[in-house]
Amino acid sequence: MEIAYYPGCSLHASTAFYDVQCRDVMGRLGFDLKEIRDWNCCGATSAAKTNDFLAVALPARNLGIADASGYAEMMIPCASCYSRTLLAHKTLEGDKDLRDRVNAELSEKVQGKIKLLSILDVLVRKVKSGEIAARAEKKLAGLKPACYYGCLQTRYPMDVEIGDSVENPQGMEMVCGALGAEAIEWGYKTDCCGASASVNDNDLSVRLMSNIMKDAVVRGANCFVTTCPMCQLNLDAYEQKIGERYGISERLPVYFITELIGISMGIGAAELQIDRHFVESIELLKGLNLI
Amino acid sequence: MSSQTLTIETEAAGSLAGEVAARSGQNLNACYQCRRCAAGCPVGDDTGVTPDRLIRMILLGEKEEAMNNLLVWKCVACYTCGTRCPNNIHTARITEALKHMIKEQHLEPMVPKVANFHSAFLTSTSHFGRVNEMEFMGIYEMKNAKNELTKGGGVKAIVDELKAQMGLGKAMMKLKRIHFSIDRIKGMSEIKRLFSTAKK
Repeated sequence: MEIAYYPGCSLHASTAFYDVQCRDVMGRLGFDLKEIRDWNCCGATSAAKTNDFLAVALPARNLGIADASGYAEMMIPCASCYSRTLLAHKTLEGDKDLRDRVNAELSEKVQGKIKLLSILDVLVRKVKSGEIAARAEKKLAGLKPACYYGCLQTRYPMDVEIGDSVENPQGMEMVCGALGAEAIEWGYKTDCCGASASVNDNDLSVRLMSNIMKDAVVRGANCFVTTCPMCQLNLDAYEQKIGERYGISERLPVYFITELIGISMGIGAAELQIDRHFVESIELLKGLNLI
Repeated sequence: MSSQTLTIETEAAGSLAGEVAARSGQNLNACYQCRRCAAGCPVGDDTGVTPDRLIRMILLGEKEEAMNNLLVWKCVACYTCGTRCPNNIHTARITEALKHMIKEQHLEPMVPKVANFHSAFLTSTSHFGRVNEMEFMGIYEMKNAKNELTKGGGVKAIVDELKAQMGLGKAMMKLKRIHFSIDRIKGMSEIKRLFSTAKK
């Protein structure tokens, strides 16, 4: 089936390989992703921290385009884009004055029709039950991921139904289970990596990530798996620095959930672009005879 | 034996609390200081001021303290405090509102790099409709350099900052995680209109 797709800026740049993986894996699971035309940046947390109107108006333009596309649902893999777009959607639903003000500036008006889906919404609730396991030609035996959700996959600053536990979500663990990987139990799955603080307040961000690293290592994880491009980039890019500063010798690959599904489906490492990681991420898979 | 009396400027307290409540959409009066927010705040160790303290400052009308503390700038908007608050108070929305007020009143941000980051991000969005990380980081570093030269750590601080960011940039380039093409959207006139309406 066809669904609308909003990749966002990260998936066009620093995590372009996540975009490649999403299209490929979702296609094989029966979802043809239709990128909405001429989308703009959602404003991320920067808009929220700078201007209330832009925080809603920037994602609103994309909502208008998505409404006009005729699709009923839109998948947004980036946790930050998903969060900001969903908040704009909810805010506009409850505030007619603001909706009129925003719509006055847009050529394609927000109608409030499109239903937004995170990547976990699609994997856990849209994909036919048992389909991921059935497609997993290779069971990921020996892979022990620490499922890392970060902040924005489960926490929102207004009432939002997430269909999972806020403090101890299980969506990624369910997917990992279907792939034959053994997700570990751990305590930092929804802790913050610092997000943009890795750029503007690096010591703080590195300290936050050191807690995440330590717990994952102590609990016996041999990799991380995430859905958030910001979490992926931060953990991947700063693991070396975290290790040196906080005395952690292990280095864990930080995979996207789509990478693990792709490998289990037998998609090649080159096609999935697994060479785009800062932390060496191919040897672990080779060692377990998964690629 | 000495004694201290707590004095509250009720009028000032009312106006600060009223403004923050209206802007953030949060009912600050519902806070009964249980400190679940403080227990879960990942930056509390660095900021000293925790969400409960910030709310209390605002309710007491301590404007100077409320607008000049590290929590306003180091809050990572993880929403842990808000999702754990028994009364649904999202302090991340409050720190957002305070940042907006600081900007509008042309006050000095306590952590200039954070303010520069978000401003540079939006400037880049206003140019192309999408964020171009090369341009965005360029604007950000220019802002930081200007700040360091006028009131900060001088040339050494600028060099250290650039070295750190260029190290990351080079590594990202090697891994093909930076793109050089400019992604300019067609609907730029709409984006410009949204930015100009936002200023009103």
